Amino acid sequence: MSDFSPLEQMTVVMARDLKDRELGAAGAAALVPMAAIALARELHAPNLSIGGEMFFNPYPRRLYPSMLDDRALGRCEGSETFIELFGHSHHGLDFFFHSGLQHDRFGNINLHFVGGTLHEPKMRGPGAANLSYCHTSTRFYICPTVHNDRNFVEKVDFVTIPGHLEGPESKRAAGLMNEGPRFVITPRAVMDFDPDTLEMRLKSVHSGNSVQDVLDHTGFALNVPEGVGQTPPPSEDELGLLRNKIDPTGELRH
Amino acid sequence: MQRDPKLVDLDEAMALAVGALRDRPDLCLGGLFKQSRPVALVRAVLAAGAKGLNLYSSPGAGYDVDLMIAADAVDAVFIPGVTLENRLCPNFRAAVESQRITAHALDALSVVGGLMASANGVPFQPIAALKASDVLKHNPLISEFECPITGDTLHAARAVRPRVTFLHAQEADRWGNIRHLSTMVYADQLMARASDLVIVSVDRIVEDDVVLDDPRRVTIPSHYVDAVVHIPYGAHPTASFPLYSMDEEHIDAYADLGDAARKGDGAGLTDYLAQHVTGPADQQAYLDKIGGTKRLQDLEQEAAEL
Repeated sequence: MSDFSPLEQMTVVMARDLKDRELGAAGAAALVPMAAIALARELHAPNLSIGGEMFFNPYPRRLYPSMLDDRALGRCEGSETFIELFGHSHHGLDFFFHSGLQHDRFGNINLHFVGGTLHEPKMRGPGAANLSYCHTSTRFYICPTVHNDRNFVEKVDFVTIPGHLEGPESKRAAGLMNEGPRFVITPRAVMDFDPDTLEMRLKSVHSGNSVQDVLDHTGFALNVPEGVGQTPPPSEDELGLLRNKIDPTGELRH
Repeated sequence: MQRDPKLVDLDEAMALAVGALRDRPDLCLGGLFKQSRPVALVRAVLAAGAKGLNLYSSPGAGYDVDLMIAADAVDAVFIPGVTLENRLCPNFRAAVESQRITAHALDALSVVGGLMASANGVPFQPIAALKASDVLKHNPLISEFECPITGDTLHAARAVRPRVTFLHAQEADRWGNIRHLSTMVYADQLMARASDLVIVSVDRIVEDDVVLDDPRRVTIPSHYVDAVVHIPYGAHPTASFPLYSMDEEHIDAYADLGDAARKGDGAGLTDYLAQHVTGPADQQAYLDKIGGTKRLQDLEQEAAEL
């Protein structure tokens, strides 16, 4: 199987980085994260728990766009309420997933507005429900399903979800002690962060994209280290599980 | 003496709600995003001419908040995330961008913490999990304070006390004992304990024995409830799991009208409000309008297949 979709590629990149016995979840827009968690559980992380968003270990029949939804839970092992969400937000999870209207060089995310000010915005976005998981969780992944020069910008207009702020010093000063954003996974490429500067850099490009394509669709000068190669494509095992078990209705291929 | 049932009709419930909101216009809505939202109660309070509301909710809301803004009933929104999930809320967006309403930048913990403080009868709830977001610079519900135990700088989420809360659940008895049958109960239990006046719509009324045989199934005891209204499909077009799923097509068609209005053509949206909010004489007339039995059977079928 050599033919796969950009969202399937994103799914396997994320799944490979999730570890057995971890606890994690995703927020409202969770199609790809849910697929990734399910795939990790099938392949190498059978003791990975999905939890922290008012339920534990759902067994959905298919994928849905949202995670916070009885459809996307299907049957599940346990449910909680916003009272327990308060505790999870303080204790943190091992991993979480975020995406926004804008993402910047340091992995900060904006979900509030583009242009103008908070109360006089040019374009008002949805805001965000849960901010705590960006720094009480051990790490998070940034996974927007589009990648262009409008949602990847030099500096976000508003920091809804802090990533690495403006680098190591600012992060320390703000008391952000966790790893923060580890990877940025888009339909075009995988990015990570330079450990010294915490600036985003290209890690690998997905099949069908060139380094230049990615640079052309990024609104800031993305660092390209030597030896950037192609993202390892989904294996037959990974694709088989995705298509036959996790995503039988092909939501990742639409 | 006889015990007073809390089961009332919609007109009685609205008389209670409108009077209370005139006193203090802080309205809180249960459910989450497209699930168990008290939409029939929302339509009724809009039809009753509610204006100038401050809206609260569990941390994620969409269609019903957008509808209330479309009906020009809202002054300020105190809800962290306002979205239809698959697309932005058109009237929310348009109203904020034209500065007709104020949408505060908030987070889940300050709203949930504020409701917890109110439910627990204390002035604030401490929060230690908020750092470095620009939301903290604008959030009107929190204040920094020095923790008397650790000396750390924490946030205090001030008690949020809605004057009125509307909830939707699947079942209640006539005394107002509420049973959620859905997998999640959202923040509904917290809101019931945090609010002055609590009105709950339910899809069906059950016999007293159903409650008495399984008291742990009661999610909100009647002590916290002021009125229950029997409104079949009262969450439509949002879902009431496990009974019926969300009507995504209806919400999408509404959002198309909202987007048209945002771009200058408000005729469709005005007509929608007339047909669905102020027009229908009762819930049955509304249900006929949205596609009647056939449409509802499809939504029931989807919920049953999960």
